[in-house]
Amino acid sequence: MTEESIFERMWKRRGLRAEIRAANALAVKQWQVEFAYPLSILWFIVMPFVFFIPSLIVGNAVAGGSESAYLAELAGTSDWLTYIAVGSAFTGLAISLMWGTGMAMRREQNVGTLETLMTAPMKRETLVWGSTLHNIQHGGLGVVLQLGVSVILFGVSLNVWGVLPALGIIALSIIGLQGLVFAVVCVVLLAKQAWMVVEFMSSFLFLVAPMTYPIAVLPPILQYISYGSPLTWSVEGFRGFLMGSLTGSALVTTVAALLVLDVIFILLGMALFRRAERYIRSKGALSQF
Amino acid sequence: MTELVKESQDRTTHDSSEYLESFKHRSMDWNAVKSFAAKNLRIAIRYPANFLVWGIMPIFWFAPFILMATAIAGPETSAHFTEISGFDNYIQFVVIGWFVFMYLDNSIWAIGNNFRWEQMSGTLEPLFSTPVPRISILLGAAISDTIQGTLQALILLNVCIVLFGLQYALIAILPTIIILTMMIIALYGFSFMLAGLILVFKDPSVLTQMITEVTFMVSPINYPVQALPKSVQFASYLVPTTIGIVTIREIAINGALDILSFSQALAGLGILAVFLWIVGISVFRYSEKWTKQRGHMGGF
Repeated sequence: MTEESIFERMWKRRGLRAEIRAANALAVKQWQVEFAYPLSILWFIVMPFVFFIPSLIVGNAVAGGSESAYLAELAGTSDWLTYIAVGSAFTGLAISLMWGTGMAMRREQNVGTLETLMTAPMKRETLVWGSTLHNIQHGGLGVVLQLGVSVILFGVSLNVWGVLPALGIIALSIIGLQGLVFAVVCVVLLAKQAWMVVEFMSSFLFLVAPMTYPIAVLPPILQYISYGSPLTWSVEGFRGFLMGSLTGSALVTTVAALLVLDVIFILLGMALFRRAERYIRSKGALSQF
Repeated sequence: MTELVKESQDRTTHDSSEYLESFKHRSMDWNAVKSFAAKNLRIAIRYPANFLVWGIMPIFWFAPFILMATAIAGPETSAHFTEISGFDNYIQFVVIGWFVFMYLDNSIWAIGNNFRWEQMSGTLEPLFSTPVPRISILLGAAISDTIQGTLQALILLNVCIVLFGLQYALIAILPTIIILTMMIIALYGFSFMLAGLILVFKDPSVLTQMITEVTFMVSPINYPVQALPKSVQFASYLVPTTIGIVTIREIAINGALDILSFSQALAGLGILAVFLWIVGISVFRYSEKWTKQRGHMGGF
């Protein structure tokens, strides 16, 4: 087979299967890059704990025991340790998606491979989905690691029957979060040195999400904003299933809210991305720093 | 035209050889320190929004801890927290922790990573070929970063005072300046060590993030030192900001200056400064030699 025919075949690749294979290749490539730096492996292992342990110490310092009567009033559970352990585990996954995927294009630009990737015979969105796939694997393993160690070392108690539904919530949450990620990618493509904007966006989203506290402690205006974020319903659903407290109307509300927000965010995100990407190419600004 | 080029080349050769002939190796070149500090400050001034953003952004980072403490202990003061820390206002307590932490964060992200930023800008190798001690370059960068960090920390403190209606004792100003100065000197040693490690490991995102998170975890920023396990408390005091936070909190919140404990804090920071400078400079020199021997200086 000649080299020319290989290229011709590559250009003829079409369909979902081809895009999935391309996304998978991008995810594998990112693993290879990460494993090329030995410190990355160490960071991958310790990261889930360094985000959780400070919250654990604060909780211990203010609660003075394993129960919190005030949290029971607000969230229906007095087990503050499990409450923050599950919430902060989800934080790790969300950070991985927002930062890892959001800044992926900038990293490609920094190493000089963005234009090459853009000319590869795949859809532009696949570039982002490939990075998302990697970060789901990366962040997902972090969630498993953190929750596993939290159960063994810190006495966190999880509802085993809630694991499968919680995975379903993660699947739903990825769609909505991907919409946010597309928005982040747009900012990165347009503003280039956009980490400050990304930092602000992600810090604000995490602040209004009920990661380690129920949204009832937020000022009313922030509570309204929180209801409009897919992150809020994702964390509530994930924690609700793992703590065995999500049943009846609360379950229906959470899943329905997440589904509606998924549709809104993914459509908006993809539309924004397509527009931003076309605009950048029309301006010839793809490789600009 | 050719004559002009020739004349220019002659002048350059003459000037450089005159400079090189009179060049004497010094362990510290204060002119270089001044030049690098001025150069970095000039770049920083071009982005004034950075000062404001980094002055306000930490509020987003510590607000979750305040909200979490409220959700667990309720809106009133936690009796357990007061018992172990000696303070009854959690927000007042945390803000001092973050004010001082800004210097630690700055020493890690800005000073420690300085050579990596130069590498990204493509100026690391020319910088390393200049006939000045590397420590002068680092110290210059450190001074400019300290000025920027101080501005950001002051913005944070003042915004928090207004936002949360906090009050601190005015008599704390002078002791705080003295403690901060000593702490910053100690932190420079810590930054030099990081700068050396980053020359070797290159990828700053992981190393820097890891060191930031670990030092953050062992520092009494959101909780008192007493909340840490005993073995970790010892590690905590190896980070210069711990003594800084504990001492400044005592004076700024309680409004009383105990000369004995203040002197002990200063002595502790002095010992740490000497220790960290010796370790920092040794690590940096070794890392530089190691990197050069492998021709790895410009490598990514």
